[in-house]
Amino acid sequence: METFQHSFPSRPLAWPADRSWALAGVVGSGNLEVLIEPNPAAPDAVAYDLQTSIPGYADSWKAALADFAAHYAVGGTRITLHDQGAAPVVITMRLRQALDLLTPAQP
Amino acid sequence: MSRVPYHELKARERLAAIVDPGSFAEILPPPARVMSPYLPKLGIPVAFDDGLAIGRATIDGKPIYLAAQTGQFVGGSVGEVHSAKLVGLLKAAARDRLPCVLLIESGGVRLHEGSSGEIGIAEAIRAVFACRAAGAPVIAVIGSDIGAYGGMGILSACCDFRVMTEHGRLGISGPIVIEKWMGKAAYDSADRALVWKTSGGKTRYLLGDANALVNDDTAAVRAGIARLLGPASPVTLAAIEARQAELAARLEQFAAVTSPEAIWQARGVTDPAAATLDDAETFVASLAPAAP
Repeated sequence: METFQHSFPSRPLAWPADRSWALAGVVGSGNLEVLIEPNPAAPDAVAYDLQTSIPGYADSWKAALADFAAHYAVGGTRITLHDQGAAPVVITMRLRQALDLLTPAQP
Repeated sequence: MSRVPYHELKARERLAAIVDPGSFAEILPPPARVMSPYLPKLGIPVAFDDGLAIGRATIDGKPIYLAAQTGQFVGGSVGEVHSAKLVGLLKAAARDRLPCVLLIESGGVRLHEGSSGEIGIAEAIRAVFACRAAGAPVIAVIGSDIGAYGGMGILSACCDFRVMTEHGRLGISGPIVIEKWMGKAAYDSADRALVWKTSGGKTRYLLGDANALVNDDTAAVRAGIARLLGPASPVTLAAIEARQAELAARLEQFAAVTSPEAIWQARGVTDPAAATLDDAETFVASLAPAAP
C-alpha cells in the first residue's frame, strides 16, 4: 500500500459544480474509484489524495496527476483516488468521468 | 423503452434505475468516508462506501429503504462497516415499518476482517427478522453473476421474498468450494451450465426458492419488486413447519437424482435444453399450468 498527497496548480473549474460530489469507477482489480469534491478555498489548485495497492509508482502517479491538472480545468476541487492497479489510460478516463459527472453543464 | 441490462450496472446505477426517478437519497454517501479500518493494514485499498450503498427512495410513490452491494469490491464481501450500514438500514426499516429492498451481489463474509464480518452477518440476519416481526417486508434481489453466497446466501433465504434474474445465483457454498470438497467428478465448477442449472435463477424459481423470476432488465426487476411490496410473509411456527415439510419433500423427491435436467423436468419443464435459452418471462409463462 502506498499513499500520496499533493496539490498541483490548475485553472478554476470552467463550469460550476451542480452537486457536492461525484464518483467514478469502483475499487476492483485493474480499476480505481475517483471521488471529486468542490474545494472553493483553493480555486487555482487541485488537491489529490491517493491510495494504491501497487507500491513503487509514485513518479508515474505524479506525472499522470500533474498532467490531468494541466490539461483540464479542475482548480477548486479535491480528488481522492482508491486504486487497485489501474492502467494509466483507465486512470485518466476515470478522472475525466468524475469531472464530467461533477459539472454536467459542460458541453 | 429500450432494455437496460440489470447485471451490467453498478450499485448506484441499479438503485437509480429501479426507484422513482431522482427519489434515491443516499445515507452515508461516499464523501462521508465511512471505510474499513482493516483493509489498509492488509495492503488492500478501501472503498468510500465499503462496498455498500444505502438509502431511502420511493417505488410508485411508496417509501422504501434500500441497499446495493458492489460485487467488484472484495467480492461484495460483508466487512464490519459494510454490515453496520446494512444493520442500521434494516433497523430503520423495522422502526418505520417500511419495506427494505436489498440488491445483493456478494460472496458472503469478508474473511479478511475475521470475526467482525461473521458477527456482522449474524446481526444483519437478526435485523432481517426484526423487520419481518414488525411486518416490514425484506426483499432480496439477486441478478448478477456474483450472486448471493455464504452468509449473504443465508441472509437472502431469511428475507420475506427473493426476486431473481437468470444471471443471479443463490447458494451457501460457492461452486469452487463444493468442487474442492466433493471432487471435480461430483461438481465441476468450470461447467457454467451445471453451475447455473444447480444454483441459477431459473432453478431457484422452479424449486420455489425465488418468488419471482424476471428478465435481466431494470424495468422488469422494478416490476418484480413492486409486486412484492405488500404485506410481509409472517414468521410463524406454522409457516416454518410448512417450509420444513416442503424442504423434506424436496429432499425425498430428488435424493436419487443426478442431473439438474431431471429436476427441471420434475418441476414442469418439458424440454430443458430449449428452456435454457428462454428469457425469464417466456420460461415462467411456459410453466403456467404447474407453476410451483
